[in-house]
Amino acid sequence: MIVFDQVNKFYGNFQVLRNINLTINKGEVVVVIGPSGSGKSTLLRCINHLESITDGVLTVNGISVSDKKTNINKLRREIGMVFQHFHLYPHKTVLQNIILAPMKVLGQTEAQAKETALTYLEKVGISEKAYSYPSQLSGGQQQRVAIARGLAMSPEIMLFDEPTSALDPEMIGEVLDVMKALANEGMTMVVVTHEMGFAREVADRIVFMDQGQILEEATPAEFYENPKEVRAQLFLSRILNH
Amino acid sequence: MNFSILTNNIDMFLEGFKVTLMASVIALIASLLLGAFIAVLRIAPNKLLNWLGTIYVEFIRNIPLLIIMLFVYLVFNFKGLTAGTIALTIYTTAFIAEAIRAGILSISKGQMEAARSSGLTYGQAMRLIILPQAIKVVIPPLGNQFINLVKNSSLVAVIAGGDLMYQADLISARTLVVMDTYILVAMFYLLLTIPLSLGVGYLEKRLAKSN
Ligand SMILES: Nc1ncnc2c1ncn2[C@@H]1O[C@H](COP(=O)(O)OP(=O)(O)OP(=O)(O)O)[C@@H](O)[C@H]1O
Ligand SMILES: [Mg+2]
Repeated sequence: MIVFDQVNKFYGNFQVLRNINLTINKGEVVVVIGPSGSGKSTLLRCINHLESITDGVLTVNGISVSDKKTNINKLRREIGMVFQHFHLYPHKTVLQNIILAPMKVLGQTEAQAKETALTYLEKVGISEKAYSYPSQLSGGQQQRVAIARGLAMSPEIMLFDEPTSALDPEMIGEVLDVMKALANEGMTMVVVTHEMGFAREVADRIVFMDQGQILEEATPAEFYENPKEVRAQLFLSRILNH
Repeated sequence: MNFSILTNNIDMFLEGFKVTLMASVIALIASLLLGAFIAVLRIAPNKLLNWLGTIYVEFIRNIPLLIIMLFVYLVFNFKGLTAGTIALTIYTTAFIAEAIRAGILSISKGQMEAARSSGLTYGQAMRLIILPQAIKVVIPPLGNQFINLVKNSSLVAVIAGGDLMYQADLISARTLVVMDTYILVAMFYLLLTIPLSLGVGYLEKRLAKSN
C-alpha cells in the first residue's frame, strides 16, 4: 500500500533520508522509532507529500507521490494525518473542524458531514464538545478531535507523528486507547511514537531509524527483547532508564 | 476664528469633503483586495510569484506618492480625481500587502499543513483557514494604513482632484484667510479619520473576544 523504493532526501547538502526501502501493507500498523533528528517525521511527511523526496520512488496505492502528474490533493484524501501539536483550527468549533474537509474536498452536504462527524466524535468519546472551540479543550481532547477530523475523510491510511508527546501524562492513555481501537479495526497506520506499551500491543512491525537510515525492522517482541543493532540497543537502554 | 469662511463657502467645503470621502473609500476597498492578493503572491509556493510580489512592494513603497500621482496623471491622461484615486490605490496596496503578509506569517505553519494534508488546495487553505486567522492580527496595522490613506488623499489637490485640500487652496487664495481655512479643513479630515480610528478599535476588541 505504501512503498519506499531507494528513497533519498536532502536538505541542501544534508541527507535526511538514506536509501529508504520500506513496504507497508494494507491493515498493517507500523511504529517508527529512533533518536531525535533521525528523520522519523520526514519519513512520515514524505508519504503525504508535505515533504518531497529527492530521488527514488515512493508510491501510495501504486501512485507515485512525487510524480508531477499525480493529483496530490486527491491522494491526500486517502491519507489522514495527526500531528504532535494537534493543529486544530482555532477559529472553528470542534464540529466545524471535522466537517470542513468532507464538505470542501469530498463535496458532502453539511447534513451528511455533520452526521459522520458526530459518529466519529462519539467514537473518540467527546460528542459533548461538538460546539466547543479547541481552546476550551484539554490536550487529550484536542488530539482526539484531531483524530476524528482525520477519520471523517474515511482515509485508507492514518499517519501519526508523536501524537502523545505534547500531552500531560494523565491524558496519554485516552489518546492511545482511541488509536488502539482504530488499529483493531484494521486501519493501516504509520505511527511515530516512543510509547512502548502501545507498540508492543498493536504494532505489527517496529522500524528503527538512525541518521536517516532504517537500521532495523522487526516485530515488537523481537525488537524490544533482543534488538540486533548496537545503536538500537543503546537507544532502548536510554529510553528505558530515563 | 472666522466662521463666515465656513458659512460663505460651505458648498465648496462639502464638495471637497464628498470627493475626499469617495476617493478614500474606493482606494481603501481596492487596496485591501489588491493588498491581500499581493501578500499571497509573496508567500505562495512559487518563486516567480514571490518575485513579482516583492518587486511590486519594494518598487512602489520606496517612491514618493506624489511622483506616482503625477506619473499616472501625466502618462495616462486621466482626470485629476481618477488619477489620484488610482495612484492612492497603487501606493497603499504596497503597505497593506506588507501588513497582511506579516499577519499570514504569524499563523503557525502547522495550520497550513493540517489543511493541506486533509486534501484542501492551497487556495482553499488560504481562504478558509489562514486568512480568517490572520485578519485578527492584521486589523491594527490595517487601521494605520487606512488613516494614512485618508491623509495622503490630500495630495490629489496637486493634480486638481477637487478634494478637500484642493477646495481649501482655492478658498484661501481667493479670500486670503489662510489660517482659518486650513483649520477648518483639518477638522473635516478629523471627521473622517476619528471615526475610522474608533471603528478599527471597536473591530479589534470584537475580534479579540471571539476567541
Ligand atoms: N526544513 C528543514 N531544513 C533543513 N533541515 C531540516 C528541515 N527539517 C528537518 N531538518 C533536519 O532533518 C533531520 C531530521 O528531522 P526530523 O524532524 O525528520 O527528525 P525526527 O526523527 O522526527 O526528530 P524528532 O524526534 O526530534 O521529532 C534533523 O536533523 C533536522 O534538523
Ligand atoms: Mg519528529
